[in-house]
Amino acid sequence: MATEHYYEIYRRASIGTTLVDTLDELVEEGRIEPQLAMRVVSRFDRAIAEALAEKAKGRLNFKGHLDVYRFCDEVWTFMIKDVNLKLDSGQTIQAEKVKIVACNVKKPGEV
Amino acid sequence: METLNSHPVTAQQAKSFISPTSLSMPGGAGDLTPPSEQDGTQSNGMNGALGSGEHANGTGVIPSTPAATPGAVTGASGIVPALQNIVATVNLDCRLDLKTIALHARNAEYNPKRFAAVIMRIRDPKTTALIFASGKMVVTGAKSEDDSKLASRKYARIIQKLGFNAKFQEFKIQNIVGSCDIKFPIRLEGLASNHHQFSSYEPELFPGLIYRMMHPKIVLLIFVSGKIVLTGAKVREDIYKAFEQIYPTLQNFRKS
Repeated sequence: MATEHYYEIYRRASIGTTLVDTLDELVEEGRIEPQLAMRVVSRFDRAIAEALAEKAKGRLNFKGHLDVYRFCDEVWTFMIKDVNLKLDSGQTIQAEKVKIVACNVKKPGEV
Repeated sequence: METLNSHPVTAQQAKSFISPTSLSMPGGAGDLTPPSEQDGTQSNGMNGALGSGEHANGTGVIPSTPAATPGAVTGASGIVPALQNIVATVNLDCRLDLKTIALHARNAEYNPKRFAAVIMRIRDPKTTALIFASGKMVVTGAKSEDDSKLASRKYARIIQKLGFNAKFQEFKIQNIVGSCDIKFPIRLEGLASNHHQFSSYEPELFPGLIYRMMHPKIVLLIFVSGKIVLTGAKVREDIYKAFEQIYPTLQNFRKS
């Protein structure tokens, strides 16, 4: 268990920041130990990765002009300009710039 | 002017000489290769050539064939192969940390498990570079010698801007690929048996005939359709020479 590592990128998503804020509050108030907060956050890393891999079924189509791309440390980064996003519901969103960060479901080295 | 009709004389002519369909001449007159002594005789032959006479009178009309590429030794065929790819190498003479480059440069890929170089692209001139930790670099995809050098300089500049002491040494064009369409079908079996010394034709393996010309040392891929790919040249003149040499043979094996 201790050898497993999950990406920490989802901590920066709204669900992640909310969790971290709440844990910070609890630690500040002395209601939980910082070590416990750390464990919760790392458990979150795993849970969200699994949930997204197994449960998330939403789809989104988009079109735009690829401005910049990068692949380093097994992570793709795409900066796309003039993006038209089409949601499942049929709704469309227009965006000037979109940044996509894409990583493997499993981290490098993991089987 | 009759004898010099492979080169423009006036500015207007020069403008019309750059065929809009020609990918080999984006820099226009700046890309002119020095005329070789063959030009006089070659252009005489051209007077009778199909489709290439119209630009000789200097009317400024853009020729309908790409035959008017300046600097090209236009022979009897009236066709000039268009350059499709140029591969060049440069030594930046500086150890490079590829991860730093991949992280900070735009449009870079670095996957050391797959390939020990950073793959970087720029849009103008549209090229791809392979950048190695040793400081050696391979630049591919340019359509002219000048574009290849310009692109190589741009990559070197990108590396410099990331804080490396990159130089620009030993720039060398390693390969030039050209192609053209002779617009008639060819009997590859006949060509292969007549020129068996130079030909390899295994339609079960590859649909084209591989023709290894000795002088100039060029490899040609000849397809039934009349499309030709020429590769292995270090200078564009060799592409042109190889094509002019093979053209009469191809006419002999024209499929009727």
